[in-house]
Amino acid sequence: MQIVYHLIVFYLTCHLIWCLFREKKFWNQVSVALVLIMFLLRLFLIK
Amino acid sequence: MRNLKGNFVSALLLLFAIAICFLSALKFLSMQKKEAIFPSRGLTSRKMLSSYFPELKKTWGDTDVYLYEGQEKGGNLLILGGAHANEPAGFMSAVLLIENIQVSTGKIIIVPRANNSGFTHSQPQEGNPQRYSLESPWGRRHFRHGSRLTNPVHQWPDPSIYINPAGQKLSGADSRNLNRCYPGKKTGSLTEKIASGIMELIKKEKIDLALDLHEAAPEYPVINAIVFHENSADLAALALMELQIEGFEFRLEASPLNLRGLSHREWGDHAQIMAILLESANASHGRLKGKTSPALIVEGKDKNYTKAAKLGRLFVPYDEDGIPLKLRVARHLAAVKSILSNLEELYPEKRIEIKNMPSSSELKKVGIGPFLNPPN
Repeated sequence: MQIVYHLIVFYLTCHLIWCLFREKKFWNQVSVALVLIMFLLRLFLIK
Repeated sequence: MRNLKGNFVSALLLLFAIAICFLSALKFLSMQKKEAIFPSRGLTSRKMLSSYFPELKKTWGDTDVYLYEGQEKGGNLLILGGAHANEPAGFMSAVLLIENIQVSTGKIIIVPRANNSGFTHSQPQEGNPQRYSLESPWGRRHFRHGSRLTNPVHQWPDPSIYINPAGQKLSGADSRNLNRCYPGKKTGSLTEKIASGIMELIKKEKIDLALDLHEAAPEYPVINAIVFHENSADLAALALMELQIEGFEFRLEASPLNLRGLSHREWGDHAQIMAILLESANASHGRLKGKTSPALIVEGKDKNYTKAAKLGRLFVPYDEDGIPLKLRVARHLAAVKSILSNLEELYPEKRIEIKNMPSSSELKKVGIGPFLNPPN
């Protein structure tokens, strides 16, 4: 089950990073970066 | 050029996210570190719960078990603190016993962090502090304020409806509530395995009486209570009378037959032992509280609760002085003492004699700090 969790979170994290580089508006980029923090914490099973 | 500029900002923001993640990870991971407990000289041995139930080895459910064995044979007592890691009076009572007692007759086994995984995270959406601290003659000691439930990092996902090992239907999150998972399941979830481990401990150590120390909100009806399995009805009733003579008001609550999975019900039914759960009133646990701060946990003062008490909405007396941790621990220890003195009265062969147990009057007077041991 942990592998499934990791795969889902990894996919979404990659998608967020892709969005971060694709996004043109600064505040949208900031929003993506903030969401990314939570996904990284989840990806490494910290929180 | 514009694309390059956009990528530069993105890379900076990515670095910012990684830096914030790193800093918060340090904070979150610090919660996994156990605070030291300095046992008294009376400690006979220290084990891990996995020595009774090896499936728990190298999991976050494995936890310390402290054994105090007297020279003379007598009864065997189990004291469980920290089944809910956000109920500090249960945990602190266990710590005070570990750091002070000596047993001359019988055997006492203390598990201060029954749900060790619950201590590794905080209750979500509560804004709870990570730690509270107590002043002792040897300096300030910090203690974790954890969560009622097992850390979801250690047990995931929650089912929509949880059917516990005793067959009771509960909300999904209760699958991570140790005090809903008894008698446990050897091949079940982490929380069910912890419950199994405690059941194995009860059986292998031939426990006669087990006490589970808890706290609840002042607006919750089962509060300042002794909840007893029918096996321990006489013992609980006698202890209650003694406590009332000493000036402690307690409610006597019979363990409901149709509420399954709780310690007092399943320990009694499955291990045929005397099982009692103790509840004290904790304002930081309730729904009416203001900001949860370390001061609220330790001093137990909250103006919303004072107002609620004046409106008659609480099940315990509550005034401007609040219900401090030292009083909640004093109540637990007074109850333990009273239960043990009446155990001897009812079953002389199961006598348990303890020395150096902090008295409730001293605790109320000088607080918890002076009873904590120096670091060694």
